Amino acid sequence: MTSTFFDLKAARQQWHPVASSDDLVPRHVYHAKLLGRELAIWRADDGFVNVWENRCLHRGVRLSIGVNDGRELMCQYHGWRYANRTAGCTYIPAHPADSPARTICNQTYPVIEKQGLIWTTDERTLIQPDSSALHGFDHQQLVLRPIPVNASVDGIADQFKHYSEFLLPSEVAGRVAGTDRLHHCHVQLRIGEHPQPVTLNVWLQPVDSLHTVIRGTVSGLSAVSNVMDHLRAHNNAMQRLRDSAEDLAADEHSEPWEALISPVSQTISHLPELTVKSAGVSGALRVEVEEIKHTAVDVKSITLKAIDTPLPTFQPGAHIDIQLPNALIRQYSLTNGPGETDRYVIGVKREENSTGGSAFIHDSLKAGDVVIVSAPRNNFPLRRDALRTVLIAGGIGVTPLLSMARALQAMSLPVELHYFVQSQEHRAFSNVLDELGDIVSTCTGLNPTQTGDRIAELLGDYKAAQHVYICGPAPMLNAARQVAATQQWPDDAVHFEYFKNTLTIDHGKAFSVSLARSGLTLEVPSGDTLLSVLRQNGVELPSSCEQGACGTCRVDVIDGVPLHQDVHLSEDEKKRGDCLMTCVSRALGDSLTLDI
Amino acid sequence: MTTITLYDYELSGNCYKARLFMSMLGVEYERHDMNFYPGREFESDWFLELNPIGTLPVLTDGTLTLKDSAAILVYLAGRFDNRSTWYPVDQPETLAQITQWLAFADGLTASASAARLVEGFFYNLDAAAARKRAHRLFRILDEHLWFAERDHQSWLVPGDEPTIADIACFPYVALSEEGSISRQSYPAIRRWLDRVKRLPGFIAMPGVFPAGPALPDNTVEHNTGSSV
Repeated sequence: MTSTFFDLKAARQQWHPVASSDDLVPRHVYHAKLLGRELAIWRADDGFVNVWENRCLHRGVRLSIGVNDGRELMCQYHGWRYANRTAGCTYIPAHPADSPARTICNQTYPVIEKQGLIWTTDERTLIQPDSSALHGFDHQQLVLRPIPVNASVDGIADQFKHYSEFLLPSEVAGRVAGTDRLHHCHVQLRIGEHPQPVTLNVWLQPVDSLHTVIRGTVSGLSAVSNVMDHLRAHNNAMQRLRDSAEDLAADEHSEPWEALISPVSQTISHLPELTVKSAGVSGALRVEVEEIKHTAVDVKSITLKAIDTPLPTFQPGAHIDIQLPNALIRQYSLTNGPGETDRYVIGVKREENSTGGSAFIHDSLKAGDVVIVSAPRNNFPLRRDALRTVLIAGGIGVTPLLSMARALQAMSLPVELHYFVQSQEHRAFSNVLDELGDIVSTCTGLNPTQTGDRIAELLGDYKAAQHVYICGPAPMLNAARQVAATQQWPDDAVHFEYFKNTLTIDHGKAFSVSLARSGLTLEVPSGDTLLSVLRQNGVELPSSCEQGACGTCRVDVIDGVPLHQDVHLSEDEKKRGDCLMTCVSRALGDSLTLDI
Repeated sequence: MTTITLYDYELSGNCYKARLFMSMLGVEYERHDMNFYPGREFESDWFLELNPIGTLPVLTDGTLTLKDSAAILVYLAGRFDNRSTWYPVDQPETLAQITQWLAFADGLTASASAARLVEGFFYNLDAAAARKRAHRLFRILDEHLWFAERDHQSWLVPGDEPTIADIACFPYVALSEEGSISRQSYPAIRRWLDRVKRLPGFIAMPGVFPAGPALPDNTVEHNTGSSV
């Protein structure tokens, strides 16, 4: 007769060990189950332990058969990649030119590593569950081999009352002096006599209604005791106990527990609508300046760390908006490598004619300050299906390309980074460049003609499945695009990101704009932008740089010919005329019809 | 040099042992693909003349015909492993333990593989009994490997290098889920599978997925927080 002591409801709110620390070897995905829910558990190269729902968001395949590359977990089936820590999807091979939507984020569970065990809980509120139950077990522990048993928690707990019958005296010194079931999943035994008694803590991991894993830890062993003897003795004892519990459980019947499936959190599932009042800097996030370092002439590297919520997932090429304490908003690309999800690192160059953005960061921002940033936005997505990827950086334009180079290198994909700088002292992030190794070449002190010649040489003639990504000052970027076009590189193989729009913008011509979905027709007067007229009339659009460089305020054109005036779209895209940037584009004729 | 021919079936775990080992040793051979299912070509007259037992794989090298996967592994190791680590003939203790695991591998064929034959190839066998026996063997294997890890051993037989014991036991453990035998309860087995998959020359087969790259040797291993 077994006691019915186990409480499923209480168990769902409490911490359980689901693995030994030693189980999580590098580059491995551990397969666990707790309370009827399967978990994929993996340790990233930075030591972080990820506890995730064991299914890919694409086709539901178990992630426990996936690949842990130390930074990301890749599904074995179609190669979807999920970031360390955030579990956000960073790449979908079947959509190589797109950035995955931020809604594609796997369910994560809280994790604590303590006493040589990995603990998690089913409780999935955003508040960290109460882990005080784990306090008081900090001393040196010997973690025993886990013993999976085909029996319920109660069936096994009952067997521990007779542990002395299973632990043979010849196997280890001492006999069982006492057994207490401290709570429904925890049994504590005292073994041996004064002055050298040891404590055996037995945690019963409720796998599902008829399966349990026995996880034991022994504390109080003397320095001279033979660890292997203890491991063997308890392993043998617990296997005997297992056989006994399984014999009794053979006739046991129990309803299976259903894993609770709840909707993904609001912060993830909420898609910004065109009409909601979340224009401008969206997804605002408080972050702390962790470190500011000089990294090159006039360039500082700024490390931002999370304060209350984990940082959202980024993809290579992404940028964030920073709202500075002096009310200015600036965009900076992330330099982070894959899996580096506990901080954002950006590079800020002091602009000669700074209107208060870069100058403020250089002169006034200091470690410990709190700033508001947007969630990362990626208008410069990286393809990972190219046979050759060429990254061309000019000056501070290296930042998004560092993130790209690190992502491709981590996946052992071919990549080369060519960095054009005035001098060695202008070479930013040399620590990252050193890590990247010989895929980096630095070209110093070239004049514009030499730069053009060098780029022509580097690019070579176009061959299939080659892509080039260029980021740098406008003259260099224009020259590189020109060279690529001359050497037959097609438009969709040439990717670029301007820091700013140096074109002279004509705001002169008035025009009318029809909004097909909203059923509005508005007049854009001379001197005003399309974006501001839309906002004045209650149509809220996301925007970022508001000068035609970043591509955030892009909308589709249904009718009419746009006067583009941006530096985000390629020549082909401009010719197609099916989209525009509301911050700088106008109508070439008298009117436009937009798909909003 | 004679030509080695393997009478092979892509979905057979026992044939995979031969393909996998020849890939690791860099041996060139010809493949004769057999229509095992649904054609039952192993019952054809010509094949029974080659192997009266009617099992796959069969390996021929000149006048030599080998009709058993363990025999094939022993032959390939003896003939092509210049370092003599896979089947070290001068180490009786190791040889004896290898032989023990070769017998264990036959147990896996009779259990884990049998369950897979029922599910994948509609054999009329007792799948429940086969699964039960497989789980019993997996428990023994997991315990062995867990304690081997405590001794800093990576492979089935103690020593610095893998042996043909690892090759012989790998396929039907790695394919067990095709016979509805979950490996969730066998963490040490799951880690050993990763180690085998990272051996130079490893090749996959349908149902056996490749592993990702190992942590580079020069990386400082993270302190796992283990207390002993």
